[in-house]
Amino acid sequence: MRKNREIKAVFAVIAVFFAGFLAVPMISVLVKSFTGNGEAASFSHYAEVLTGRGFLQALGNSFVISICSALLATVLAFVLAYTIHYTNAGGRYKWLISKAAILPMLLPTITYGFAIIYSFGKQGLLTQLFGRQLFDIYGFNGLLLGYVVYTLPIAFTLINNAMGYIDKRFMIVSRLMGDSPLQTFRMTIVIPLLGTLATSFIQTFFLCFTDFGIPASVGGRYEVVASVLYEEMLGSIPNFGNGAVVALVMIIPSVVSITVLHILEKYNVRYNKISPIELKKGVKRDVVFAVLSGAILICALSMFLVMFVTPFIEEWPYRMNFTLEHVQAVFEDRQLYGVYVNSVIVALITALAGTLIAYGGALVTARSTVSGKLKKVIDSIALVTNTIPGMVIGLAYLFVFTGTPLQNTFPIIIICNIVHYFSTPYLMMKNSLSKMNASWETTAMLMGDNWMKTIVRVVTPNALSTLLEVFSYYFVNAMVTVSAVIFIAGARTMVITTKIQELQYFNEFNEIFVLSLLILFTNLIARAIFRRLAKMSESRQNTAKIYRFSEKKKAA
Amino acid sequence: MLELKNVKKSYDGTPVLTDISLNIEDGEIVSILGPSGCGKTTLLNLILGIVDSDGGQIIYNGEDITNVPMEKRGFNIVFQDYALFPNLNVYQNITYGLRNNPEISSKEEVEDLIHLLGLEEHLNKRIGQLSGGQKQRVALARTLVMKPKILLLDEPLSALDGVIKESIKDRIKTIAREYNLTTIIVTHDPEEALTLSNRVMIINEGKIAQFGRPEEIISRPENGFVRKFILNQLEIKKNNIFTLFSGQLEQQVQVG
Repeated sequence: MRKNREIKAVFAVIAVFFAGFLAVPMISVLVKSFTGNGEAASFSHYAEVLTGRGFLQALGNSFVISICSALLATVLAFVLAYTIHYTNAGGRYKWLISKAAILPMLLPTITYGFAIIYSFGKQGLLTQLFGRQLFDIYGFNGLLLGYVVYTLPIAFTLINNAMGYIDKRFMIVSRLMGDSPLQTFRMTIVIPLLGTLATSFIQTFFLCFTDFGIPASVGGRYEVVASVLYEEMLGSIPNFGNGAVVALVMIIPSVVSITVLHILEKYNVRYNKISPIELKKGVKRDVVFAVLSGAILICALSMFLVMFVTPFIEEWPYRMNFTLEHVQAVFEDRQLYGVYVNSVIVALITALAGTLIAYGGALVTARSTVSGKLKKVIDSIALVTNTIPGMVIGLAYLFVFTGTPLQNTFPIIIICNIVHYFSTPYLMMKNSLSKMNASWETTAMLMGDNWMKTIVRVVTPNALSTLLEVFSYYFVNAMVTVSAVIFIAGARTMVITTKIQELQYFNEFNEIFVLSLLILFTNLIARAIFRRLAKMSESRQNTAKIYRFSEKKKAA
Repeated sequence: MLELKNVKKSYDGTPVLTDISLNIEDGEIVSILGPSGCGKTTLLNLILGIVDSDGGQIIYNGEDITNVPMEKRGFNIVFQDYALFPNLNVYQNITYGLRNNPEISSKEEVEDLIHLLGLEEHLNKRIGQLSGGQKQRVALARTLVMKPKILLLDEPLSALDGVIKESIKDRIKTIAREYNLTTIIVTHDPEEALTLSNRVMIINEGKIAQFGRPEEIISRPENGFVRKFILNQLEIKKNNIFTLFSGQLEQQVQVG
């Protein structure tokens, strides 16, 4: 059919891209797990890894710490969201909670470890404030703290959104039926949220299980799978075969968790209508939850305080005078400043190219009549990218592209980011495109537009606010990702996060914190700009809608 | 008897209800009728106890209940979209309140209700499998099991289509008669209000425009609002129906 030619071309480009940068690399991981550094195929690497005493221990550790962190993060996020939706804590305070809760998302996880060390360590800022070290930071405690702070924003976003979609009038019904407050809580909040709470638990579990940044700095002797993988690959003698086996083991829990998520999606309770109600007065409840939320956020964010303090002090903790020396030093150091510029460029190109690919994919699945099989291919790609941890993709690229002209280049880092984060942007785009009127393309074509013109003149302007959101998502994640790029960034293609990883060996914490601050402020500014642009395009659409509506009325 | 004395309510300084006073007798069906935004839902919420009034008194059988919390008043409501618990089946929804207060309704009383509302064959169904009219009846049953002193209905017919509308109307009348239940209905449809209730209260801009029996409202509209918006609407409907049937009438005359 003539009209599908362009969309099939888009599909072909996307399919080839993911075949080359997802399928081939992942297959090579599988192959390497049998052949290692070029021996004959055997199970020897599996045997070696699985019988190695440290590995099963690390695997067990990974499970224990990830489950604890996921549980804690979900419970804390629930308290925060509850304060926003079910108390009269005051609009401004609620606004503050919702903003503060997602702040950690704008920082790379590698910074978390450092923030913990310089907050709670022997000479740490908070240790000094309290006069004693609060807990041993290396190992379980440090990991738990880091993981919880890292995953709290994600858990909060999920639960907060879902709570907004609960019909609160059920609380009135439940009370009128004579339920006790505890029963009302169970029936009208916990049960409708069960699916979301499980999703939050699984999602945060997955993130903890596959993160590399936090164990890299505060893991100590508490070995987790991510650190084992790093040692296998970048230790004194890289062992490709063993690395591949570890990577495959790492994928198993992700595949399981994503599958469970898909099943859970069906159980989410959907309400026809959301009706705002006046919440029952409860000063005690309001105060308790306001204080709890405040405490959670202060605890979570206090560890980042050090980032804003030590870089501006001559020599922590000995010479405590204010100085801009360290900040200046970073900007004067051509290499460090260059790393920052690299990061921004990588993030921008990732965002631009990634948005285009996600848009293309969503156009195929949401706005075309090509066969269901082709659509399924794209949906599966999104699902697969969601299950594969960043570290595993990075490792796969190391296997495949070493020795090719792509090795140690920016394009490989950019491609890695695009593939790693493809899932969410694609689903955002698809969701938004499928909500648009289905006959636009036909109408435009009847008016003489070709496909390209229709996309440019009709679809894109209406998808603009989502496109900007996707762009912003890619940008922020490309700025903070560490696990995906740790294996593929070369000496001349350093980005901030890999630089921080390197600086860590030399304990250059001032530089680390200044770079982290740069990432944070860049992300904050970028988000603010995109948010503003998205709002502008949205309000333009809305006025257009109102205009159309009144026109129609007049005609009638 | 339910009595409101000088009740008022405003939101963020904007008055929604100003100085509402009224009496409702036991066993009476009263409709609160008015255009959207006139304050009728707020009035319903005030009686139920979801929102607190800014002034005035609410008195039930001589007892001042202005400051009695919602669950202690003993009134109950069926919401416009029914608010049935989607995770429970029909029977579990109907008997939901009995888990907390098993002595409220006996097994026979529940069975009578189920029979009265024609729900026997649906008891094991999930809420998602029901039609709008069936949901409405389940919600009515769930509320009636609680034996409310006053039954409040928020737009009970607006989500239903033609024939079902009439049958639910009958059920509501039957229930009010059978249980001598004071029933207060909020609606924006004059036809619904005037054909369903003993008395109709017309509200406009936060005030009672007229409160009287349907035939009083038709024959003696008290002000321009009632005449223009309520009677006029009914007049147009009446004429439309007469025009529709006029052909048939002529035929009958010719045949005769």
